[in-house]
Amino acid sequence: MKARILQRGDVLKIVDLLRLQGYEVIAPFRGRGRDTYFDTVTDQNRDHLQLHLPNPYYPPKRFVFPPIERMMMFQRSDGKIQIEPAYKHPKRAIFGIRSCDLAGIFHLDRFYLGREFRDVYYENHRRNLFLVNVVCTEPDLDIGEECFCVCADTGPAARDHFDLQLVDLGNEVMAVAGTPAGEMLFSDPIFSKGTAQHIEKRHELLGRLRKSFKKDTTSWFSATVRYVSQGEILEKTWEEIGNRCLECGGCTYVCPACTCFTVSDRQVGPNEFERVRVWDACALSGFTRMAGGFNPRRSVHDRRNRRFFRKLAHYFIQRELSMACVGCGRCAAVCHGDVGMPTVVEMIRAATNEAKPR
Amino acid sequence: MIAASTQNVYLPKAAVLERVVCEIPEVKTFYWRFEDTTEQKAFKHFRPGQFAQVSLFGVGEFPTSLPPSPTEDETFFTVRQVGSCTSALHHLTPGERFAVRGPYGNGFPMAQYYGKNLVFVAGGIGLIPLRSCIVYALSNRDKYQHVQIFHGAKTPKELMYVPKLHEWEQTPGVECHLTVDRATDGWKGNVGVVGSLFKKQGVEIPVENTIAFVCGPPVMFRFVIKDLLAMGFAERNIVSTLERYMKCGVGKCGHCCIGVAYVCVDGPVFTYEQIKRLGEDI
Repeated sequence: MKARILQRGDVLKIVDLLRLQGYEVIAPFRGRGRDTYFDTVTDQNRDHLQLHLPNPYYPPKRFVFPPIERMMMFQRSDGKIQIEPAYKHPKRAIFGIRSCDLAGIFHLDRFYLGREFRDVYYENHRRNLFLVNVVCTEPDLDIGEECFCVCADTGPAARDHFDLQLVDLGNEVMAVAGTPAGEMLFSDPIFSKGTAQHIEKRHELLGRLRKSFKKDTTSWFSATVRYVSQGEILEKTWEEIGNRCLECGGCTYVCPACTCFTVSDRQVGPNEFERVRVWDACALSGFTRMAGGFNPRRSVHDRRNRRFFRKLAHYFIQRELSMACVGCGRCAAVCHGDVGMPTVVEMIRAATNEAKPR
Repeated sequence: MIAASTQNVYLPKAAVLERVVCEIPEVKTFYWRFEDTTEQKAFKHFRPGQFAQVSLFGVGEFPTSLPPSPTEDETFFTVRQVGSCTSALHHLTPGERFAVRGPYGNGFPMAQYYGKNLVFVAGGIGLIPLRSCIVYALSNRDKYQHVQIFHGAKTPKELMYVPKLHEWEQTPGVECHLTVDRATDGWKGNVGVVGSLFKKQGVEIPVENTIAFVCGPPVMFRFVIKDLLAMGFAERNIVSTLERYMKCGVGKCGHCCIGVAYVCVDGPVFTYEQIKRLGEDI
């Protein structure tokens, strides 16, 4: 991987370069309160861009997997039917994607584009996506109460899957290219060669960062992954987790690695119908209910069991080459019953440990 | 980085409904063909036990078994009217269009069963997916040993594929045993659950070198499994096909996932040994 140095004041010029190349650039912005959100960069809001700010509640997943997406149209005329797929081929760049969300997109890549069937809609969104990763180097601004990327091994500095990675060294920024497309940007005069001191500074900064996380938001996955994979978790533990779940589906909605969707048809004209896919959540009771009413997963703790099994079982980690939890902490922030990932990992670890014969 | 355009696996192909046959109350067989003959040819390579996704425009899509054997000429579905999509299909008249994509799933590994005895146990509409295997086995008769069919229904009116049942009863070298829960309409045959046929005089089920196909409602499934295990069947020699709520059929939407298995791509055919490990109700 190649690296270059640029002045802190020149960093937004990367956004300009990408926009000149025809990319729609998406970046996190600060709202009126403490909240932040992803939006398209325009000439008007370009100067409000910040390198360091809390990661938005809604992950950038929707730019590769929209919450509602038209899949195809059906048109009926003279008894015949026309079936037309609905494709979009956006050319987008996400500037300021955090390492956790980057891992989320990598996970989605493996899931939607791996194995026997490839998902053409996901592929269309993904093909021209340029990812500029910003490493969370300002603990007060970047690292939230709930962040646990150090436990999920996705951050604070991503090792891979970005086109360009920016590490804020103070007055200067180190840019690392992860792909040939990222390296192409280095031909611009804002980039200059770095020295050994820059590398040393980066190393020292990242080492210090790992200690900037809150002590009580750690999530010790390894034991829990083992218990989940070997089916050692007591029904009682799932019941306890289930009792605290309000079945709102919020955790799946904010998760950068959740993949489930439902498909729905609706009439849009006298002889015209559209088929859309919509995010779905395994927390909802209708998720597995079949026509006729039979539901193999009736109780809420069975459904919680499902979510955490799917995310933590070794079989799936191996299948997608990454865990379906990236440590962003959004589920922990959004959950009213406090059964987000870090809590569940701890509940399972403690309860199973205790129950084991010594 | 990411390869150029991929085939759209979600896109169904237009099909024409040709004729409809009433099987039993609420269950009809729909004979259809693809508008495009090349699609029809490609589809005909399905394996017994696979399934297809059927689209009703503006209503939705549902997964359904493929009752025909690939050795037969016609393509058809046998469907119970139970939800909005199946109702929409039931309301179609011959000549009208719907759409189909598939075939999906693993299907029964019929070639692995060469040289074995086959025992088919079907309760009610559980005969729909097994019909494919039975017809397939009988058209490759020399490849299989003894073939036994056990089919049970609530009443004689609810026996599935009656003309086919009669044909199987007349076929030399094939045993076809029928039973009903309640004898009506002058029924002269056996009365009782499917399992009661196993103990009938003259019925002998070979356990050695035998594969048992079991399909039917959950209660029937549990009891038949118990009977078969008591007879000495190994769990891996009992096979069935599972049903789940499904949206995509290609392992992406997540609805049909049980344990580590996506029913749509890893199934729907599983051995009882596998089903037991999935850890969820059938």
